[in-house]
Order: sequence, then structure tokens, then C-alpha cells
Amino acid sequence: MEDITLKALWKAQDEKLDRTMKLNFFIMESMQKQKAQSKLNGLARLKLVAVILGILWSLFLGVLIYGNQLRNIYFTVSVGMIIVITIAAIVSYIYHITLIKSIDHSQNIADTQKKLAGLQASTFNNRFILLQTPFYTTWFWSTEMIQASVTKFCLIAVPITLLFTVLTIWLYKNLTPLKMHKKWVSYLLKNDPEQVPVLQAQKFLEEIEEFKKAS
Amino acid sequence: MGMQKNKEGFIKLIDEHKLIIYKICNSYCKNQYDRADLAQEITYQLWRSYNRYNHSVKFSTWMYRVALNVAITFYRKTKTGEAIIKLTEPDTEIEDKKEDTAELEKNIDTLQQFISELKELDKALMILYLEEKAYSEIAEILGITETNIATRISRIKDKLKQKFLNTK
Repeated sequence: MEDITLKALWKAQDEKLDRTMKLNFFIMESMQKQKAQSKLNGLARLKLVAVILGILWSLFLGVLIYGNQLRNIYFTVSVGMIIVITIAAIVSYIYHITLIKSIDHSQNIADTQKKLAGLQASTFNNRFILLQTPFYTTWFWSTEMIQASVTKFCLIAVPITLLFTVLTIWLYKNLTPLKMHKKWVSYLLKNDPEQVPVLQAQKFLEEIEEFKKAS
Repeated sequence: MGMQKNKEGFIKLIDEHKLIIYKICNSYCKNQYDRADLAQEITYQLWRSYNRYNHSVKFSTWMYRVALNVAITFYRKTKTGEAIIKLTEPDTEIEDKKEDTAELEKNIDTLQQFISELKELDKALMILYLEEKAYSEIAEILGITETNIATRISRIKDKLKQKFLNTK
């Protein structure tokens, strides 16, 4: 098929498109409403919800620590660590939101899409949130509990915490697209509806790199 | 007053270039509802960016950048496995189609089908090529080198040629 024919075919659809599609310029009258409905704001909205929930959770935990008045050091340290990790996640999400808001669609396609896909894929970098898990198994520890039965404490509470610690570190190290060659990682990530768009973003990033590569 | 003038100027420019939006929507969306949604989204994002448009690049270059960026992002968010709805679906107004018109419509369908099957970035490249943009402008819009553009277009065209041969 010759060039000229391809371009002529492409042009031939102009009239039909003009007839079948109509732009609604009344959109200009409802910009604010449209802004809220914009599908492209989805990622920022999702992260904003996470920030709000994170702040509320941290405040709630802060009140618990304040109420405890350092009476139980295990509780204070555990909840304190959860707050620190949650705050780190909040800061990371706020940073992402500012990056999303700063994306300029009038920049070239390869760079803009790389930024967008990179942001979506960066969810994996937030998996440090997993590291707070073991602290949920220690915040009810107390000196009284340990003194009441050291054996029970050593045989039940400590192994549970150790198990969660090992499991969390292992998940943190393995739950990454770099380990996708492992069957279980691939199965877990591909079947998690939250991770599917992230994986697609990773794949798209590779496509962009391939696209940019000089042949 | 200034805002009103700005808005009127924007509407006039968009009206003059609306076929760009239509073609991009038609290439990236499989059904008419998505196409309408995407057209709205593109218009909205163009309006949002319009104040930053500094005339250092051609209006059409700026418009292609915004529209294609929005279309690719939109497509990645909404893509489904739905079948392509042909633009050249049976037209009730014309009962007796001439043979050459039918052939033309079949070829348009094949071209659209082929473009819709391309990867997001190749699709953008092919749209710009078919719009007869110079390689230098395509490079400016896409952010890749002219050599890369030439190689990619040649590969895509070979595949397209094969596709047309197979449909004969």
C-alpha cells in the first residue's frame, strides 16, 4: 500500500468524523465541575484519600500514646514506630501528589508519559509500609504480662513477633516486580486488583524506554 | 472581559482544529461513549493548559502534545477488551452503495483497525505521520529522534502493508 493511499484513506474519514462527533463547548461553563470529574485526577485523589486516612490514623495513635503517659514502654515504642512509618508514608504520598499536580500535558509525549507511569509504578516504593506489621504484635506487651509468665511469653508472644518480623522482611524484599520471575510473586501481584495498574505502568515504562531507544 | 476574550479565542482555535481531537479520540477509544468522554477530557486539559501556551511552538504542535498525552493516559485507564466499533458502520441514508465507496470504507476500516491495534506510543506516531507532520515536528511532539521516527514508521508501514494484503 502506497504512502499516498494511506494518507488519502486517513483524510477520507474527516467528513464522517465531523458528522458523527460533536465537541461540547458548554464544558467551558462548568470547568470546576469537570475538574472534579476529570478521570485523570484519579491517581491524585486516591493518594489524597490515603493521606487523609493516614493523618487520622496517626492522630488516633498519638492520642493513645498521650493517654498512656509512658506507663507501658512496649506500647509506646510499638505505637510510636507505627506512627513514624505512617508519617513517612504520608510524606511520600504528599510528594507524589505534588508531582502529579506538576505534570504538564503540553510537554513531549515520551517524557510526560514516563513521569506518569513512573508515579503509578512508584507504589512499590511505598511497600516500606509493610515494615510496621511486627509492631502490631508487640503493642499489647507489658512488664506485668512478662512477669506473670515468662515461659508463656517466650513460647507464644516472642515467636509470633519473630515470625511476623521475618515474614514482613521477606515480603518487603520479594514483593517487587524485580522478582516477577518467581511464580508466587507473579501470582500474587497479577491477582491483586490494586497492583494490576501498577504492573501495567511498569510494563508501559519499559515500552517508553524501548520507544525512545534509537533504532 | 479579558477572560471572556481568552475563552472566545480558545473556542475558535479548538473549533478550527477539532478534527485533530476527533481523530485522536477515534483512534484511542473503542466505543462512542469513551470517545465522547475523551473529547471532553482533552478539551478540558487544553483549556487548563491554554494560559501556559507561550506561542514558542505552533498551536497544532502544542495541541497534539496535550491531546495525545491525555489520550494515552485515558486509554491506559479505560482500555477494555471490547470490540472495535467501526466508524463506517452501515449508513441508513445511503441504500445503494457504489462498489468503490464500499471498497473505500472497507479500507478505512482496515486502517482504523490496524491503528487501534498498535501500542499507545506507536499509535501516536502513526497518527502524526498520517496527518503529514514533518519528522522534525513529530520529534518535537513525541520527544524522540527523527532517525528513530523514520525507522519506526517504516516498520509500522510494512506491517500495515501486510495487513492490507491479507484482507484482499
